[in-house]
Amino acid sequence: MKVNFYAYFREYANAKELTVDHCATVEELIILLGQRCGPRMHKELLNEGTVSDQVIILVNGRHIAHLGGPQARLQPDDEISIFPLVAGG
Amino acid sequence: MFGWKGTLLRVNLTEKTIQKEPLNMKDAELYLGARGLGTKYMIDEVDPKVEPFSPENKVIFMTGPLTGTFAACSGRYVVVTKAPLTGTIGASNSGGHFGPELKFAGYDGIIFEGKADGPVYLYINDDQVEIRSAAHLWGKDVHETTDLLVAETEEDARVACIGPAGERLVKFATIMNDKHRAAGRSGLGAVMGSKNLKAVVVRGTGAVAVAQPDAFLATSMDARTKLKAHPVTGVGLPTYGTEVLVNVLNQSGALPTKNFASGKFDRADETGGETLREKYLVRNKGCFGCSIGCARVTRISDGPYQGFGEGPEYEAGWSYGANCGIHDLAAITKANFICNELGLDPITMGATIACAMEMMKKGSLSREQVGRDLVFGDAEAIVELTRQTGLRVGFGDQLAEGSYRLAESYGCPELSMTVKKQELPAYDPRGVQGMGLEYATSNRGGCHVRGYLTAPEILGVPEKLDPLTTEGKAFWLKIFQDLTAVIDSAGICLFTSLGIGLPEIAAQIRTAVGWDCSDEAILELGERIWNLEKLFNLKAGFSKADDTLPKRLLEEPLPDGPAKGKVVELEPMLEEYYALRGWDADGIPTAEKTKALTIEG
Amino acid sequence: MSKVLIISPEKCLGCRSCELICSFHREGAFNPKQAALSVLTFEEAAISVPVMCMQCEEAACSKVCPSGALSRNASGTVVVDENKCIGCKFCISACPFGNISYHPAERKIIKCDLCGGDSNCAKVCPTGAIEFKEANVANLRKKKAVADKFKEVFGEASV
Repeated sequence: MKVNFYAYFREYANAKELTVDHCATVEELIILLGQRCGPRMHKELLNEGTVSDQVIILVNGRHIAHLGGPQARLQPDDEISIFPLVAGG
Repeated sequence: MFGWKGTLLRVNLTEKTIQKEPLNMKDAELYLGARGLGTKYMIDEVDPKVEPFSPENKVIFMTGPLTGTFAACSGRYVVVTKAPLTGTIGASNSGGHFGPELKFAGYDGIIFEGKADGPVYLYINDDQVEIRSAAHLWGKDVHETTDLLVAETEEDARVACIGPAGERLVKFATIMNDKHRAAGRSGLGAVMGSKNLKAVVVRGTGAVAVAQPDAFLATSMDARTKLKAHPVTGVGLPTYGTEVLVNVLNQSGALPTKNFASGKFDRADETGGETLREKYLVRNKGCFGCSIGCARVTRISDGPYQGFGEGPEYEAGWSYGANCGIHDLAAITKANFICNELGLDPITMGATIACAMEMMKKGSLSREQVGRDLVFGDAEAIVELTRQTGLRVGFGDQLAEGSYRLAESYGCPELSMTVKKQELPAYDPRGVQGMGLEYATSNRGGCHVRGYLTAPEILGVPEKLDPLTTEGKAFWLKIFQDLTAVIDSAGICLFTSLGIGLPEIAAQIRTAVGWDCSDEAILELGERIWNLEKLFNLKAGFSKADDTLPKRLLEEPLPDGPAKGKVVELEPMLEEYYALRGWDADGIPTAEKTKALTIEG
Repeated sequence: MSKVLIISPEKCLGCRSCELICSFHREGAFNPKQAALSVLTFEEAAISVPVMCMQCEEAACSKVCPSGALSRNASGTVVVDENKCIGCKFCISACPFGNISYHPAERKIIKCDLCGGDSNCAKVCPTGAIEFKEANVANLRKKKAVADKFKEVFGEASV
C-alpha cells in the first residue's frame, strides 16, 4: 500500500511517501506507522492507542470518517494520505 | 461610545465637501458594522439598479465594533459598493493595519459619493481631513503609491489605494492596503478608479473603548488562547499558510484543474504550502491583532521570476497553478506579486487566463487574437498576461473584463466558470457538494468566504460532513453564512472561525459593545445581514435563475478521483435551502421573514 | 535576580497585540500610539521588532529629570512618580532609544514600568517574541541551542 505524507508528517516520516505491507484496517496501518516512523509520528497519529481525530486520513481520497472510521477495511492497492488538521483558503 | 466610534465621514468628491456625521446607531445595533452596516447604508442611499461606474454609486469603507480592539484578529475593515464584476452588492474585506487606524483616527467609516474631476486622495490625520490631489500618483503601482503617500504625509500613516488596474477600470481590480492586503473580490478597486479616488491615507492617535473592559479582556484572551491551542490556527496556518490546502484538495479529487476539466492535478505538490515553505518563504506574518500569522512573506531570489512580496495564498496558488495546468511555483508567486502591485484579484485573473486557455484549445480564440500561443501549462503566459491585464494593454484589455464577458464575446460563455459573472475559487463542487450550494447562493457570486463548507466537508472542521452527498448541506450552509456575516460585520478575521465558534465570537461582541443578549441573537444579526444583501440583489434585478452554477458542473461528471462520475445535485439542495431561509420557492424572502428580522426598506 | 524583557524579533508577527494590551493597562482603552512600546516593521528585511524600555542601569531619563520623578525601584525598574513629575519632557529627549513618550490628552509621561513586575506585553504575545524572564535563564536557552548542535554532531543517539 502507498502512504502519502503531508506538512510536518513528511519530517516525521522523513519521506513524502512510503510503501508498506498490506494492513487490514486503517487502525492497523496507523499503529504500524507509529512503530515504523518513530515517537513523533506515534504521538501525533495515536491518542491513547486509538487513531487521533486531530489528523486527516484519506483512503483513495475519501476521509475515513465517511468510510467507517479507523476500522475501515483496506485493500492492498489502496492509497492513503495523511495530513495534520488544516484549513483556510 | 463603546466598540463603535459613533462618527462617519461623508466625502462628496463632486462637490469636494467633507462632513462628519453621527453613525446611525439604530442601524448599527441591527447590522453591527463593516459588511452589514455598510450594506444598510448602500441600500438606503443608492438605487440597487445603479450603474457601478456612475457617480451615483457610492463606495463605503466601514469598520466593525471589534476593529482595533484586543479581540482576536481584529484588523478587518470592509469596502461596500455595487460591484462592477457581478452587478450584485459588493463587499470585500481586508486585514492589515488600515482598518484599525481609521478607528484610532475617530471614525467607523467613510462614505464616498460622486466623482472627482481629477485624481485625488483623502488624507485623514485625526480631526484633520482633506481631499488632496493625486495627479502625481496616477499610473503608479500600489507599492510606489504607498511609499510616496507615507513619505508626503506621516511615517506612521496607513494607506489603502488602487493600482493601475483600478484606474483602468479592470472589472476585478482590488483595493490594496498596507501594500499586500486586499479588499480583493468583485472589482471594487475599479469603482474607486471610476471616481478618480486613488487612495485613502489615515493616521489616528485616539483610543477605542469597550463597554466591559475586564470582561472583554477575559473573552478576547480566551479566544486567543483557544486559537493558539487549535491545530489549524495554532500550527497549520502559521507553519504552512493557506497553500497547505493544495494537496488536501488534490487528494480529495476536488482541486479544479485546467478550467475545471478535472479534479486532480498530477503536479499539485509542487505548488503546495509545503513547497512554498521550503523554497520561497521568508517569514510568516500577522495582521493587526492577529494571533494566527498565516500571511507568507516570500522572496524569489533567482531565475526569471525574481521578486519580493507576500503570498500566494491557496486560491491564487490554485487559480494560476492547477487551474492553468502550471506547476512552476516561482511563476505563480511572481504573477501573484504582480497582482498585488497592479491591484488585481488573482482568483479572477488566473481563472480568466484558464478560461482563455480552454477557449484557444477549443478554437474559439486564435493565436493572432491573443498575440501569443496560450496553452495549459505555459508558466510565462500567466506572468505576461497578468501584467497586460493590469495595464489593459494587448490582449490584457479583453482579459480585464473577466472570464464571463470574455467568453461571451467569443460566443462561448459556457467556458466561463463563474456564478453571477464572478470566477469560482479553488474547490470543485462536484467533489464538495455543499460548496456548489454555497457558490450558487453567495450574495456576491462565485466565492468561498461566504459559507466555507469545505471546512466540514473536506477537512472535518468542526463537523465531518460527507462531501459527496447533499444531506444536511443546506442546514449547515445557512449557519455558516449567518456566522460569516457576523464575523465580517464585527471587524474580525474569518479564519478565527476555524479555531473558535459562535460562543467565543459572540462573547467578544457583547462585552465590547455592552449588550446583554444570547448567542442566538448574535447569529440572528448575521441572518438579517444575509437577507438584506439578498434584497439588494433582488432589487438589482437578480432572480432564482441566477442562483445556479456553470453548466459544466451541473452536467459533465468529474472524470477522475474519488468524486468520479459526480455532478452537482444543486436543485434539491437549493429547494431545501430556500425553505430553511424562510424564502419562497423563487428564493425571495417572505414578508413574514423580513418582518421577523425587522428589516426595513 | 530580576526579570527582564527579552525580544526575539524573528518570531514577531507584527500584530501589535503588545501595543494594544500596553495601552489598555495604561488608560483602559485600546490606543497603540499611546503604548509604552512600539513594533517597528522593516518591509524589505521582512522583520518586525518590538522596541521598549530596557530599564537601563545608567538611565539617562532618570539622570536628566530635574524633579527626581524618575527613579529606580526595589526591583530595578525605572518608574515615574507622577506626583513629582513636572511635565518638562526632558526625559523624552534624553532617552537614546525613543522609549519615552507623552500622552497629549492625559498630559502624562508614557514609560514602561514592566506593569509592576507582571509584563502584560509578554503575556499576550502570541509567538513568544516578547518574553519576561530572568536574564540568565534567557541566556541559558541560547546556550542550549548551541549545545544542541554539538549534540546533533557528536551525540550517540539523536531523537
